Amino acid sequence: MSSSYDALHRHATLLKAAARAAKAITTIVDPHELLQRTVDIICDEFDFYYAGVFLIDPNGQWAVLSAGRGEAGRAMIAEGHKLVIGGNSMIGTSIQNRQGRIALDVGIEAVFFKNPHLPHTRSEMALPLVIGDEAIGALTVQSEEERAFHDEDISALQTMADQLAIAIHNSQLHREKQELLRQAERRGRLLQAANRVGREVTSILELDKLLPLTVDIICEAYGFYYAGIFLVDDANEWAVLRAGYGEAGKTMIGQGHRLKVGPGSMIGACVAFGEARIALDVGEERVHFKNPHLPHTRSEMALPLKYGKEVLGAVTVQSVEERAFSQDDITTLMTMAEHLAVAINNARNIDALKEAHAEVLRSKVFEALTTATTEAIHWIGNKTLPISLTIARLQEEIAEDTIDIESLREDLDMINESARQIVQVKEQLIGAVREQKPRPVLMADAIRTAAIQRGLSPDMVAVDINPAVAYAVADSTQLVRAIGNLFRNALEADARQLSVTCEPAETRGMLKLTIQDNGTGMTPEVIEKAWSPFFSTKGSEHHGLGLPAALHVVSQLQGHISLVSNPGSGTTVEITLPAARAIGTSLESASSASIFLVDDDDEWARQFCALLEAAGKKITRQTDLSAIPKASLVLVEEYCAFISIDEVLKNLKNAKLLDKTIVLTAAINAERTTEFLRAGVSDVLLKPYTPEEIAEFLK
Amino acid sequence: MTTVFLADDERLVLRSLEKTLLRAGYDVVTAGDCRSGSEVFAQNEGTIDIAILDLNMPGFDGMPKPGAGLDLLAHLKEKKPSLPVVILTAYDEINKAKDAASGGATAFFVKGREQGLVELIQNILASGQK
Repeated sequence: MSSSYDALHRHATLLKAAARAAKAITTIVDPHELLQRTVDIICDEFDFYYAGVFLIDPNGQWAVLSAGRGEAGRAMIAEGHKLVIGGNSMIGTSIQNRQGRIALDVGIEAVFFKNPHLPHTRSEMALPLVIGDEAIGALTVQSEEERAFHDEDISALQTMADQLAIAIHNSQLHREKQELLRQAERRGRLLQAANRVGREVTSILELDKLLPLTVDIICEAYGFYYAGIFLVDDANEWAVLRAGYGEAGKTMIGQGHRLKVGPGSMIGACVAFGEARIALDVGEERVHFKNPHLPHTRSEMALPLKYGKEVLGAVTVQSVEERAFSQDDITTLMTMAEHLAVAINNARNIDALKEAHAEVLRSKVFEALTTATTEAIHWIGNKTLPISLTIARLQEEIAEDTIDIESLREDLDMINESARQIVQVKEQLIGAVREQKPRPVLMADAIRTAAIQRGLSPDMVAVDINPAVAYAVADSTQLVRAIGNLFRNALEADARQLSVTCEPAETRGMLKLTIQDNGTGMTPEVIEKAWSPFFSTKGSEHHGLGLPAALHVVSQLQGHISLVSNPGSGTTVEITLPAARAIGTSLESASSASIFLVDDDDEWARQFCALLEAAGKKITRQTDLSAIPKASLVLVEEYCAFISIDEVLKNLKNAKLLDKTIVLTAAINAERTTEFLRAGVSDVLLKPYTPEEIAEFLK
Repeated sequence: MTTVFLADDERLVLRSLEKTLLRAGYDVVTAGDCRSGSEVFAQNEGTIDIAILDLNMPGFDGMPKPGAGLDLLAHLKEKKPSLPVVILTAYDEINKAKDAASGGATAFFVKGREQGLVELIQNILASGQK
């Protein structure tokens, strides 16, 4: 009875332990953890000496120990402990027969394998791990006690073994799923990388930027050790490293790393044959280049950069793992290499195009210089001839004492006029190349000043300025010079009406000034030469420097000038200039000075007066000088439409106000400044345009 | 009296040359372009002994034209093949000089050596060159 009770109790304990073990086992999903913890749980729950799990190898020939309890287990795994399926081991036969086996006294069990790592085993049970009809391995449990296992224990522990088999199976499925997921994620990342290279290829045309970016993308997206891009030299003799990842890449590029095209290296062979080469274990690859900068490379792939049949270079991708490249890697990298080859070909075409363009430009510059020089020589010859000819004649007349006063007067006039024209040209040439001091310039004022300077009556010029582009960044003196030159050209082309508009240009931050006239216009041949210095269709009195000077001024301001013209339908000149914004500010009302402004009722004068009045200052503006108001400061615009500066200064002198007078001008000139100062004015200054400038001026 | 026909669009050049030639004892008739040049020549064809034509000046259509003087040269030579003609230019371009020679010009004179112009005219007239 007692023996029977003990047996029942023992069996029940075994079942409970089996249930606990099974429960614990089924919660583990990590395959490695599952097996190792299973053997520990079994030993702990059942108090066994040893437990081990064998799994069948992919060939189905061996049962390989995959987890073992304690030191013995670790040692056997390290030795690669495995048992042949079938054979005479308990494990081998258990798997073969898909039946549990018990060796109660192992000393006399013929099939027991005398295992030196488990010297104390006296009982062993081998239980097959079966899924459906298929055995996937076996569980061994061993005890130091003789006769530790009973036949009925087999079924109790087999249930647990079945649970373990299911857990192993589930774990394997989980691992496969994880692997599939990992592969899918990696594939997605690779496709993203390939797409990114594809995108960059279309947006970056400079190889010096695109190639380093590509190697960075390859290494970062694929997790590779190194990537490099070689391009073939012009002689098709060397593959020259143009981009390399990391420090190794930098060093190699610094050293001018290159590989001979041919079978001596993977890259060389890849370029020579135009085929991809993959060395999964580079130690075994005959042609692999032993590179001291990349000592950890174990796999290398070289992909040709082919455009049509031409091999432009090759990409090398290297990994620290053996057999590192998956089919996904190869497919996406090849796609990337194809994109890259297109980009390299495009960049080369662009370089060739740039070179051709530079050649055309050189040729055009030479042509322009030749034309300018020819015209200049022609001009100088014609201007100096009357001087030298007349002087020679006068010398003869003096020597012969036959001087005629009337003739002498005419001769001197001719010499004077020739000299004056030469001086004018000097100013035209030098003026436009003077250093510019860009600042916000009120376009309305520059246009108005240029018009008055060139003698255009107000009703001849229709001006329309979009308030959004009221100011340009320019040097007002130079801008007035450029606009004035264009006005003069229009007048000399018999224009009777000019339309001047200023509107925002298509390019953000720029304004477009358009000057349209209804003059005689130009033929295409004349337009082609119009920008050349000294070219003029207007006769000997003209210098042909107006347009070249305007071009120079506008170019200096980072602007652009172009003209459209047809004979009989006038000329339209378009100038783009950087637009400026005048930030509004209020003036401090520190001074109670009364100001008298001699100026027309124009845009600048209105703004100036409004700003000063808002600050509480007293300002009177008029051009009628019949009654000059009392003022502590007199400001005079140099270019008024209906009264000359000379007349204004004469009136102010009579009113004894010259010493309180400042002449303001949009276009300052050294000779006139001297003239005004000698006349007695206090100062001559550039007109302040922005509230900040006006505030500074009033200080 | 020897008459010189002078055509140049540079007003000061024209006048100063005219005065120099007058002082040298020549009669001078002048024109400022090809069109007026052909008219002036037609009016004085019988008395003109030599022509001095600027190379670059307005052509027969009144528009500035490089080498227009060669057009006037051809016109004058057609009217009076025996007329000696000097082409005057500010730029000593060899190809233009060759064109002038092949067009029947007696001489090609570069501005800037004006003192030699009177001497050149005298030599041409004295030697009877055409």
